[in-house]
Amino acid sequence: MANNNLMVGLEIGTSKICVVVGEGRPDGTLKILGVGEAPSRGVRKGEIVDFETAMKCVHEAVVDAEQKSDVMIKSVYVAVAGSHLQSFNNRGCVMLPEDRDEIDEQDVEDVKINAREVSIPAQNAFLHSIIQHYQVDGQQGVLNPVGMLGQKLEADFHIIHGVRTRIQNTIRCVKELPLEVEDVVFSGLASAQVVLTQQEKDLGALVIDMGGGTTDYVLYSEGAVRQSGCLAVGGDHITNDISMGLRIPMARAEKLKVEEGSCVLGNCLPGEMILLKDDSGFAGKEIECETLNTIIYLRLREAFELLKRRLEQEPYLGYLGAGVFITGGCSLLSGIDHLASEIFETPANLTHAQTAWGVTSAVENPQFSTAIGLVKFAQVMDTDRPPRGFSRIFGKLFSGKR
Amino acid sequence: MIQLNKNYSLPERLAEFIPIKIASVGGAGLNVLDRIILDGLERADVVAINTDVQSLTSSVATRKVQLGRSVSRGLGSGGDPEVGYQAALESADEIREALADSDVIFICAGLGGGTGSGAAPYVAQAAREAGALVIAFVTLPFAFEGKRRNAQAREALARISEFAHAVVCFENDRMGDLTGPQAGIHQAFAMADITISQSVRSIVNLVHRPGLIRIGFDDLLAALRTRNSRCLFGYGESDSDNRAHDALTQALKNPLMDRGRMLADATHVLVQVAGGPGMTLSEIEILMQEVGRHVGDQTQILFGAVVDGPLGDRLGVTIISSLSAEEEAGLLQHAPTPSNASTSSPACEDYEPATPQPELQSEEPVVEPTPVEETVPFDGAMAAEVLPAATPISTETPLIPTRNGEPEHLISKPHEKSTSWKEEKAFAEKPAPPAKQEVLQFEPVTRGRFEKSEPTIIEGEDLDVPTYLRKNVKVK
Repeated sequence: MANNNLMVGLEIGTSKICVVVGEGRPDGTLKILGVGEAPSRGVRKGEIVDFETAMKCVHEAVVDAEQKSDVMIKSVYVAVAGSHLQSFNNRGCVMLPEDRDEIDEQDVEDVKINAREVSIPAQNAFLHSIIQHYQVDGQQGVLNPVGMLGQKLEADFHIIHGVRTRIQNTIRCVKELPLEVEDVVFSGLASAQVVLTQQEKDLGALVIDMGGGTTDYVLYSEGAVRQSGCLAVGGDHITNDISMGLRIPMARAEKLKVEEGSCVLGNCLPGEMILLKDDSGFAGKEIECETLNTIIYLRLREAFELLKRRLEQEPYLGYLGAGVFITGGCSLLSGIDHLASEIFETPANLTHAQTAWGVTSAVENPQFSTAIGLVKFAQVMDTDRPPRGFSRIFGKLFSGKR
Repeated sequence: MIQLNKNYSLPERLAEFIPIKIASVGGAGLNVLDRIILDGLERADVVAINTDVQSLTSSVATRKVQLGRSVSRGLGSGGDPEVGYQAALESADEIREALADSDVIFICAGLGGGTGSGAAPYVAQAAREAGALVIAFVTLPFAFEGKRRNAQAREALARISEFAHAVVCFENDRMGDLTGPQAGIHQAFAMADITISQSVRSIVNLVHRPGLIRIGFDDLLAALRTRNSRCLFGYGESDSDNRAHDALTQALKNPLMDRGRMLADATHVLVQVAGGPGMTLSEIEILMQEVGRHVGDQTQILFGAVVDGPLGDRLGVTIISSLSAEEEAGLLQHAPTPSNASTSSPACEDYEPATPQPELQSEEPVVEPTPVEETVPFDGAMAAEVLPAATPISTETPLIPTRNGEPEHLISKPHEKSTSWKEEKAFAEKPAPPAKQEVLQFEPVTRGRFEKSEPTIIEGEDLDVPTYLRKNVKVK
């Protein structure tokens, strides 16, 4: 890329592939220059199952984005999802040598490495290790220990890992195009970057990104990621349920879900029917509104309850000051916020990318949260933390100066 | 506190007079009670029970019981069921006294608040202990009233179900359909009251009106007995030329009925037709044919016909039914709370099992287990003349109109029951509805679109299989 401030996010979703070209401004804001998208094929539950087809679709989306933003895309940030992604919290610890008591950059790096020294399954690879808090000699809640005096540096990390080969599949798909992959990011984490403000992260918030194939969730508490994961249930499941329950083709079921679906029961008049027109526009099947909504309701309720049970394994769910934030394509389903607030017993909001500006239609569409989030993530990586790869040394120099 | 001790019940009751009490608990219950009284109900005593003196004072009920003089000091229970319960405990003797000497006790309560949720289960218990048949009419709060209230209501409903023989549950959310979206909230609540009042009155009338083809409590219980959380009720009246059709249409218009569509799934449907002396057989025939169109083939229709002079030219149709839990699970947002009236209920200890009664000649071969009628003595003084229930046809009681518990006997000669309900002193309970035959899925459950992808198995469930299939919710 000619301009270093240009960043591209690529999400290979189950229902569509989208590419967002963004430009980071010096003041820290983000401008969306263009959005390319293409319907996705060969992807199920967030993972590529048909390599060739998926690659073609990615290519289509990239070309679309290039045309719309008038930018030549060379490298991208890629989002990954899939049920193989797992996460846990771990604490790393380093002792400073006797003759030194000022914590420096290297110690922070060491503690990070130390925190990663946990056993994850052999076929798994680390995707993220996100710092929650440092502790210096038992002092809690230290945000930046560099320069502090102490002997013992501990750090709590939230670690996300997944099956190496599956992550590599996604990377390979992009590299074959060919495009450079700057980094892979868990899609839920990417969405959270633009859906939540810092204040909401501090208060405690749960982001649910319900897309076509997966439901990604990230729980923030006291400004740090506490829990995250991916549930391989999404809008596709709803469509599939409708298709099977009402015995209509998938495409029709999808349309019905988008146009008429709701997950609130009892809102339809008794006996309210939806008339399905066939391709020639003639009256076809009649479907009871409540039946449709019951199918959707049962599926969503189950997904949310599953999610809740997972999150309840740790105590953070009870301390969501800001509530639940739902984004992703499924958040367009009417009444989903009511259902979520009923189940999680906390206010639920429908959100989309908040902290970006530019192509308004893209920013306001919750379907693009992840892709925009990727750009935001890239921007944060560029400014806040030493970038990876070749510029790592430079990054270190810069952050050392600060 | 003002306590009016006017008691309208007659010291010497007529042979067919069944002492009925309507006890209403809490503010919402009182509203319903006032509505019932204002609509005119001469054949039952009413008792108003509340913690709040103000609402008791304004109630038009003749008998009033103030709960918890020291617990709530004449104020309401502040939405706390615990306060309501304590208040009821404090006034336990008064409640018992008020409920004494009745064979049937209707309990009306709006669940969700403090008194309704806290005291109503206790009142139900007291009524049960008094040896009466207890039928509870409860309303569940609107969803917008908050989760707390809804949770309280469901808890209370479960407790009431332990004691009551039948629970008729009205969901306010559904009652909202009674009024148009533009109607004020006041009107919506009033409509709910009217509907409950209508159903209480129609049940009272149902039992009291000497019928040509009588509907007894056994039929009523059969119609209500399924482990339901949704009662289907409809009442219609008409005096037009086409009154049979119009009355039925009106009855089915009730939103609880969903234009008759709900009836298709019910196992028992109770239909009572009441009319003046001018009611003709063909009218009933037309009407029942129309009802038949709405119900399934396996549905047991409990039919009753009544000639009531005061009705004049009007023809009234009452339809009562209930949806069982599994039928309803798909329709209902909340998990159905088991309501009772089942013979298997452990609370039914005051029933003593009686002679099994062979199924009266049924015209359609309904596949049902052998019915077991259970009888209960209501009153120690009346020696339980457990009638020879097995005799379907009897001629010894010319005074008493016939009662027919069988479906579709309209055209056929009605089988007369030998005694009146009072003499019989028995509640016959219908056998359990025929067990639903589940269609076994021999094919491995299909995963549709996800056939070829990696299955998502979480907590032992294959999430790719539609939820409604796994939860066994019937989707039409």
